[in-house]
Amino acid sequence: MKQIFPLTFMTHNDIPHWISHLQKIENVIAPHKNGINSFSFGKVSDPKCVILNYDRTLSSIKKYFLPPKETLFSFSTDGKETTSSKVEPINAIFLGVHNYDLEAVFRLDHNFLSGHAESQYLTRRQGALFIGVSYTPDEWHFSNSVLKDGEPNHSGGFDLFLHEIEDGYLLETLTESGQNLMKGFPLPEFDGDIPKQQSFNAHIDGGFEKVTDVFSRAWDSPVWESYAEKCVGCGTCNLVCPTCFCFNVEDEVDLDLKTGNRIRTQDGCMLRSFSEVAGGEIFRNQKAARMRHRLYRKFKYISQETGESWCVGCGRCSAYCTAGISIVDIVNDLIHDSNREIGA
Amino acid sequence: MMQIFKSIPENMEANLYLPSMGTITQTHNLTKKEKWFEIQMPETHSFSYNPGQFVEVSLFGVGEAPISITSAMKNPGLFEMTIRDVGVLTEKIHALNSGDLIGIRGPFGNGFDLKKFKGKDVLIVAGGIGLVPIRSLIHTILNDRKSYGRLIILYGTKSSQDLLYKSELDQWETHPGIEFQMTVDQPSPDWHGIVGVITTLIPSVTLDLENTVAAIVGPPVMYKFVLLSLLTKGLSDENIYLSLERRMKCGVGKCGHCQINHSLVCQDGPVYHYPELKKLQEALK
Ligand code: SF4
Ligand code: SF4
Ligand code: FES
Repeated sequence: MKQIFPLTFMTHNDIPHWISHLQKIENVIAPHKNGINSFSFGKVSDPKCVILNYDRTLSSIKKYFLPPKETLFSFSTDGKETTSSKVEPINAIFLGVHNYDLEAVFRLDHNFLSGHAESQYLTRRQGALFIGVSYTPDEWHFSNSVLKDGEPNHSGGFDLFLHEIEDGYLLETLTESGQNLMKGFPLPEFDGDIPKQQSFNAHIDGGFEKVTDVFSRAWDSPVWESYAEKCVGCGTCNLVCPTCFCFNVEDEVDLDLKTGNRIRTQDGCMLRSFSEVAGGEIFRNQKAARMRHRLYRKFKYISQETGESWCVGCGRCSAYCTAGISIVDIVNDLIHDSNREIGA
Repeated sequence: MMQIFKSIPENMEANLYLPSMGTITQTHNLTKKEKWFEIQMPETHSFSYNPGQFVEVSLFGVGEAPISITSAMKNPGLFEMTIRDVGVLTEKIHALNSGDLIGIRGPFGNGFDLKKFKGKDVLIVAGGIGLVPIRSLIHTILNDRKSYGRLIILYGTKSSQDLLYKSELDQWETHPGIEFQMTVDQPSPDWHGIVGVITTLIPSVTLDLENTVAAIVGPPVMYKFVLLSLLTKGLSDENIYLSLERRMKCGVGKCGHCQINHSLVCQDGPVYHYPELKKLQEALK
């Protein structure tokens, strides 16, 4: 039976003390301010520097499980010696995670568990605890258009969850691990309800059901070309996406030329080189074809097997697109274009 | 259903990306560009494969590339591959000889499903370097010849200098169990055989349409034309298998490089049943 834990209340002043308490248990990774309007997850050293009220971080917490660059093994160039790189469990408390970023971690889990289970990702993934925080959607978030539970205050999957209210936070305890984190840090119980969710500004018209429908017949839509015209093919949308996991593998040789490392680096399907086959042919040479592939990966290919959207609606690819392209606009245009076609 | 991480799966490999070391036991230059290698894997490494599978071949400090297996499974741990020199890695591999070590991961991919070929007439259409992977199927059939009906092999290359496994081609021409035909597109003066692209060979072949299974391997440009002439002949989609070359990287379904539509070539392919392949719009364009 699912245990129900009482809601508790924390003031803004309590937060740094609480983080110090958590740090005694495990490393804490949380959002920090990074420049004027930019945020990023980092290991907490000073609890006062943690920002819980943020719109989005440039990169998601996936960097802790799937680093942008990592060594797969070291070698001697004569092939006589190879040594796998040691990978350690992350063993950390992720504090201040938005609902969509945890959903994204679950999608990465799926990728690295299915078929050949990958030790690099799965080993790191051990010992992660998640403390969520509610957020106020800005012009780019659209999680409730794609996720079954995409509300900014949806706490499912977290160990603990902070609901922002006027003078502090309501703390929801969801798991026993979460309850253990609170041992030795007593808080007053809160007698009342979790505040209502904040509403979204960006929407996919008709939600994920409509998305599934339109992606069954959007292949030849002229919409791809109309957005590809503006796209510069920089791959930023792949790099910032919390569910993109594609990578490249290459060798780096040390200066002595006797030893080196085989490394993997983040790669992206929007880059022209991504689909190059031996002999130099690039089979997704057109930007429109690459954009279509990226969106089909988010909305159809894995979704038709799992029933879940592989886009979690974080809005990063729109917010950071070099050419100002919004993924919500693309999908809505596909929907309107297909409506026109069938005369609806 | 989405799988969410709970604990480390029991069957997880220590490092999917770490090659085992094979030893080159024989080599042979087939053409100016193609070299054949026989590789012995260490005894500790259980290595068995199906025709049509591929391996990832590594030189440390240079990189890794997907290479088709060109032999039929015989002694455990022993296999052959033929490598075309197309870049830095393959050039360095060409410089290797007997006794040298080479990194191998795999075998990967599905390979040909022999159940679909047994008891049937087998039509093999190989264009250019496509003979390399399909030779694994040809040898598999020859090793168990009585389990199959006719074995018809059609092979086409650009010029006579590009013909692979020449002494073997001579044997196939006189082999009582093989109906073999080849053609070259740009003949040199000493060429006395058939001239033209591979599809020139198809009209004159008589097929028992109900009982023939075709396997096609070649450069992407060839597929459309070969498919068209086979279908015109009356062969049904159901009886056609093709093998695709895509830039495989990880070989284990993780890196995304080999994906065409929803299909990962390194997992679902490289051999595809034509009715399945038709659903992949990106496959034959
Ligand atoms: S596709 Fe864009 S909005 Fe969707 S999860 Fe990726 S970055 Fe976020
Ligand atoms: S970030 Fe924008 S411009 Fe860059 S590849 Fe993605 S869609 Fe194109
Ligand atoms: S080669 Fe990496 S996913 Fe297929």
